[in-house]
Amino acid sequence: MRVEYINPFVEASYNILKEVLNSEVVRGELYLKSSSTPVLGVAALVGLAGDVEGRVLFDMTKDTAIGIASIMNGEKLTVLDELGKATITELANLITAQAVTKLHDLGFKFDLTPPALFTGENMEISNSQVEALIVPMKLSCGKIEINVAIRERA
Amino acid sequence: MKIKGDAGGIGERKPDGQRVDGESYRVLIVDDSMFVTKQMGQILTSEGFQVVATAGDGEEGVQKYKELYPNIDLVTMDITMPKMDGITALEKIIEFDKEAKVIMVSALGKQDLVKKSLLSGAKNYIVKPLDRKKVLERIVMSLNK
Repeated sequence: MRVEYINPFVEASYNILKEVLNSEVVRGELYLKSSSTPVLGVAALVGLAGDVEGRVLFDMTKDTAIGIASIMNGEKLTVLDELGKATITELANLITAQAVTKLHDLGFKFDLTPPALFTGENMEISNSQVEALIVPMKLSCGKIEINVAIRERA
Repeated sequence: MKIKGDAGGIGERKPDGQRVDGESYRVLIVDDSMFVTKQMGQILTSEGFQVVATAGDGEEGVQKYKELYPNIDLVTMDITMPKMDGITALEKIIEFDKEAKVIMVSALGKQDLVKKSLLSGAKNYIVKPLDRKKVLERIVMSLNK
């Protein structure tokens, strides 16, 4: 996977998380994951199609999702209700949109799918066609793994 | 709700959401995100605007605008939405009322999208995440256009 595709997602994740959570965000080391990846409990998925294709997954535990949604709404949420889910979906949308804007500026043309949110225990995602690069982001309320799997269109 | 740039109470000055006759500006929020609708509503009402309706897609937004007209002063319009996107909804609203004041609100800051919106009749363009100060500045600017 070319680094040009990854950097905009890393930068956008860092910038947006820092802005909406109004606190420090620490970027962990990038690493590659095997073809089958466990999902932490709450995952927002955004698809990309165009010059490049693939998907970006924003993966976190339910407690982290509730913590993020609480901060973004300025009110304590105790469960991941409809507002909480809409908040995590919007977070995925904000990060992906900023990254895509940067990629468009670099000359790549592609569209995004609206974010889809998955919640549940013991889920895993398979990437048989394309390797996934993980960017961990440590937050005040847990961590998010930005899981990017993109390839150039054949 | 915590909103970046929140300056606190309205104080002695006339709130941005109030017309010279003391009435509130009436706003329609069109966005498919419950979170964004709530956040935008919070910013607007805190400054004296009246949110008269919300819509979850472009089609519903156009329909609500027509129902509310002429008792509507401003529309905030998301771009990526189901059924009908925000640019098409903007064009349909402008076709119906060429004086309509529509502000586009999107996470996408692509120049071609901003240009297309403005050429289609939008008065301004706000890139999310919403910043209270920036939102109010752009809205006031658009109302005075």
